[in-house]
Amino acid sequence: MSELSRRRMLGLIGAAATVPALAACGSSLGGGSTAPTGAGGARAIKVGLVVPKSGVYAALGTDMQAGWELWLAQHGGKFGDVTVETVVADEGETPQTGQPAVQKVLQSDGVDVVVGIVNSSTALGVANLFTESKKLLIVTNAGAADVTGKARTPYMWRTSFANAQVSAAMGQHLAASGFKDGVFAIAPDYAAGSEVIAGFTKAFEAGGGKVVGTVKPAFGKTSDYQPFLTQIQQSGAKATFCFFSGAEAITFVKQYAQFGLAPAIPLYGSGFLTEGSVLKQQGAAAMGVQTTLHYSDQLDNPANKTFVEAYAKANNGASPSVFSMQTYDAANVLNRALQTSGGVDGDALSKALGGIGTVDDSPRGPWTFDGQNPRQNMYLRTVQDKGGTLVNAIVQDLGPQSQPA
Amino acid sequence: MVVSILNGFAIGFLLFVLAVGLSLVFGMMDVLNLAHGALFLGGAYLGAALSGGWGGFLTALAVAAVAGALAGGVLSLMTEPLRNRTHLDQALLTLGVALVVAELLIMVFGDDPLSVDAPPGLDGSVTLLGAVYPSYRLVIIGIGAVLALVVWLVVERTRVGALVRATVADREMVATLGVDNRLVKVAVFAVGSALATAAGVLGGPIYGARPGLDAAVLILALVVVVIGGLGSVRGALVGALVIGQVDTFGRVLLPDLASFILFAALAIVLVVRPQGIFSGPVGAR
Repeated sequence: MSELSRRRMLGLIGAAATVPALAACGSSLGGGSTAPTGAGGARAIKVGLVVPKSGVYAALGTDMQAGWELWLAQHGGKFGDVTVETVVADEGETPQTGQPAVQKVLQSDGVDVVVGIVNSSTALGVANLFTESKKLLIVTNAGAADVTGKARTPYMWRTSFANAQVSAAMGQHLAASGFKDGVFAIAPDYAAGSEVIAGFTKAFEAGGGKVVGTVKPAFGKTSDYQPFLTQIQQSGAKATFCFFSGAEAITFVKQYAQFGLAPAIPLYGSGFLTEGSVLKQQGAAAMGVQTTLHYSDQLDNPANKTFVEAYAKANNGASPSVFSMQTYDAANVLNRALQTSGGVDGDALSKALGGIGTVDDSPRGPWTFDGQNPRQNMYLRTVQDKGGTLVNAIVQDLGPQSQPA
Repeated sequence: MVVSILNGFAIGFLLFVLAVGLSLVFGMMDVLNLAHGALFLGGAYLGAALSGGWGGFLTALAVAAVAGALAGGVLSLMTEPLRNRTHLDQALLTLGVALVVAELLIMVFGDDPLSVDAPPGLDGSVTLLGAVYPSYRLVIIGIGAVLALVVWLVVERTRVGALVRATVADREMVATLGVDNRLVKVAVFAVGSALATAAGVLGGPIYGARPGLDAAVLILALVVVVIGGLGSVRGALVGALVIGQVDTFGRVLLPDLASFILFAALAIVLVVRPQGIFSGPVGAR
């Protein structure tokens, strides 16, 4: 007992000792930005953009930063009359690098709002930092249900998606399109993989479908999928639903075609299977793969056309990915919130975000916040060859979808 | 079923090309080379960098073999001062080399996973007994079988091979006969390493090239060596084919135990025949 209280005592002393140090830090470094914003109405806002600049998600980070910078460039670097100053920090791959990066922009750079975060564990791990500092975090990728569910704080909003939201749309679609009597589900054995499969299975079964088998290959350790592919063939499945990303998405899609499953058992997936840079590596093997996602650069609406064109111009002809769009939209909603918030603190911004209504000029089509996660249209996409480049062509608009309960 | 058996052979022969060098170096010169996986990964990246056609593929194979042989020679020289020390010292040195090489590969090729295309004509599939199978993997089975035969002939049927086997059996006796067994060691190290980098190029279209692959294949190679027995070509071949089948069938028949089944096979061999399937009293020390 005494041991415990002594330790707690030491902890308190330690914490007390850091407070003045941090305060001093804030006043010397962040002073420049807090003074003008504090004095009646916001004139400047400092935003910490925390995205991966290294590690396996580095490509996502590049897209996200390009999306953020594009919105600002199109609007003169301002939210209305508020000048935006962006501090970029490297999220890295894991919470071990992501949490210190968030801590750094909050504490030593003294930012008002943080935008970004790819890794769900990082997002969940920093939730407390935002509750304590009462500042706003806009998550522009991390898809774990808990981010806007169980671990919800008023300060954490999301412009991207929930894992199960994307796969539920596919569950409903497959149940309604003649695959009721047999779909095989496969995804890597980790948190996101499990959420995707659970979301799919629930929606598919609710539509009267039957999942004939589920398998979860070890995450990050599987490079030969032949045994699982054989299992799929033996299960008598009429279609396969899968979720992979990065290296595994490349390997799985290629081997699915090489082992001859593609013509007999069509491959469906969560959109990340064929999104961004992996599509080029998958090559011809990806042709005809159908996925659901809340975006494709092929979407036919005026906002998206302008977005794709401007993005290509600013990035040497590159096409935007869903990650670029999600971060572009983060700037959009922040801009809208600042029109009514009257301040840049988390409480004011959070309240304002709740009242922005429909975001009607997003490249993904109109969407609204339902809770703190977007209620947005899901699109059925198929991989097609368009003038020598593989693209995710839109097949069908599957209608609006919220984060499943 | 046909597909699983074939795949077991494809993975098995690839493992053989990878593991035979490790087995000879460990069995013969008693050097535990933990940089073997890094050599494989180097070959895989080389294949990825030059992929895109037959020219690139064959160039990658040739460059990988030469670079691997040179790297093997260097490793042999580096471990020379440690020849009378314990395995732990060698393991530390070669592990350090492996870590440095892995980091250098990340610096050069980035840490995005790369996929490697099989050479034109082999990137499709063929139908065998009603099952569709990637043609490249069939070719791997062929190449592996030919390499196995060549290595076996060289070791068992030639004068050089006799020297190597004699060195495995009794290094001091070979030295007293006037043979500088350091040269034998360098040569075996070079050939073993060249096979490892070549295996990397060959394995590229199956495994791709990515950080962390080096550790994954090193463990597989060590399991093969332990099961087959040290310093034996036949052992490495049988060990590799057994592991290929166990790994493939294990995942199909017992998917829940997939990650465990490989090591269960290893444990059984260690209990029943600790010296490995093919290592007789000759190789024991």
